[in-house]
Formats: sequence, C-alpha cells, structure tokens
Amino acid sequence: MSMNPAGLRPGDTFVLTVDPVTTTQLVQYAGASGDYNRIHYDLPYAEEAGLGGVIAHGMLTMAFMGRALTDWAGHDATVKHISAKFTSPVRPGDSVEVRGVVTETQPGGTGQAKCDLSAHVGERTVAVGDAVVSWRV
Amino acid sequence: MEIDLSLVGSFSEPFEVEVEKCEIRKFAMAIGDRNPLYFDEAYARGKGYAGLLAPPTYPTCFRPPLVPVWMRGLDQRRIVAGQMAFTYEKPITAGMRLTCRMHFAGVDDKQGAKGRMQIIRQALQGHDKTGELVFVAARNTVYRSLEQVERRSLA
Repeated sequence: MSMNPAGLRPGDTFVLTVDPVTTTQLVQYAGASGDYNRIHYDLPYAEEAGLGGVIAHGMLTMAFMGRALTDWAGHDATVKHISAKFTSPVRPGDSVEVRGVVTETQPGGTGQAKCDLSAHVGERTVAVGDAVVSWRV
Repeated sequence: MEIDLSLVGSFSEPFEVEVEKCEIRKFAMAIGDRNPLYFDEAYARGKGYAGLLAPPTYPTCFRPPLVPVWMRGLDQRRIVAGQMAFTYEKPITAGMRLTCRMHFAGVDDKQGAKGRMQIIRQALQGHDKTGELVFVAARNTVYRSLEQVERRSLA
C-alpha cells in the first residue's frame, strides 16, 4: 500500500469505519494493553461507577484513529505525533467512524503532513485530535 | 482518596521494557488492525524498519511494574481517560529495549457541566539503549469528584 504525498493538499480528507466494538474486544484490549480497569468489562462495577454500563477504553478509540491515519498514509509513512481528547464514551455495539482532514503539507509534498482527526458514533463526536505523519524519502 | 499534590514534579523509578513481536501482534489484533508492518517481519524490514513496527498508540502498554506513588490508592471508579498524545523521535520496533520513566507533571482543577473534576497530567518518556529519546506519551487523566460518581455523570 502506498500513496503519493506530492499530490496532497490541505483540505484532503479520509475516513475509516470500524466494526462495532464488542465486550469481547474490550477484554482482548484490556489483556493486550494491560489496562484492567473494570469499568471496561464488569457491568455491575461500571453501573456502580455511575457510567450506565461498560465503556470502551479511550485508548481503543485512539487506536482506531491511528489505524485510520496509517491506512490512509500508507506503509511508507511514519507517525511522528498523534493526540486524542476523549469527549464522549464509546460502548459495546457502537461503530466508530474516524474522519481525517489534512491541515498542512510541506512544499514539494515529500516531507510531512499535519491532519486533524475526529472519531464519531452516529451524530456524537467521541474524540478529537491531531497528527503529524512523515514520508521517508 | 484524594490526590497528593505534594508529589507533583516527581518521577517514577525507571523501568525496562523489551518490545516483543508477539506482544505487538496481540495488540494489533485487539485493535483490529491487520497492517502487515505489525505482523510480517520481512515486510517491515523491507520498509526500512529494524523489526516489526509497533502501532502508534502502543506505548500505552508500557506500564511501570508498580503503580506510581501519586496514583496509588486512587478510586478506579473515578478515573476516566481525558487526553493522550504520543510524540516519536524514532519508531518503536520489536527487539528494542527501552528505559521508561513516568513524570507527574501536574494537576488542574476543572469545573465540568455536572460537577468538579481534576485533570492529572503525566508524561511517560522512553529512551533507547544509546540513551536517545524514542518517544514521549503525555497522558491527561480525569479524576472525577465523588459527587460526579454519585450523580452518574461522566463529565
């Protein structure tokens, strides 16, 4: 997979729609990441915590944002920076859509690009952030 | 339990992380990302990496063996993710040995729409065996007030 960064312009967009999150995936992510906070898989505990049910790890949503970025940028790009601010919870059954928009490119287009990223569930924005990717020449 | 503000500015004990192939693959599987750079070593080497590449949010896995002293005893029900930022000087690849240290950068008070909360600012720094900085992972964690827990409010 590759893309031609020379053709990039500010305002270019990309989208990734992720399969709905499952509780199994939250358990899998807890194991892979080492984040065993029970609000992510233990329903009575999450309810007692006032969350109205289990919520996905914010970092899982951010991983989807990273995936949208790297799927779009291609395998010749490296991520120099990625940030995310979590604005609303994601729950099992939610399908996250990640949207990216290029905000800055370097002259010649072979160097770096800055992007804004956002993650959505339906009409709800669940995370916003930004990223810098670099294409090795 | 409340946050001990006298600990702001302190660092955790350094801890070593060995970046392992199967851990990278397990993480990539969990996030549903089948990028061959995370699974196929020969492919990653062909793209100029020293080994399997780690996904951009991978340093979230690098946890100190002991909970940093300033996070000890805090109520897990009150903790939710706030903000996270990863900045890379070099890509993280399998086989790297990183020395990591967590810095307790500060605490901000914030009034949410439905109650008081605190933002715990921490930064994890990772250096490679030559002593060069590889990444910084800046983490802002929301510590909800007890009234927020009782009112069943996230923010």
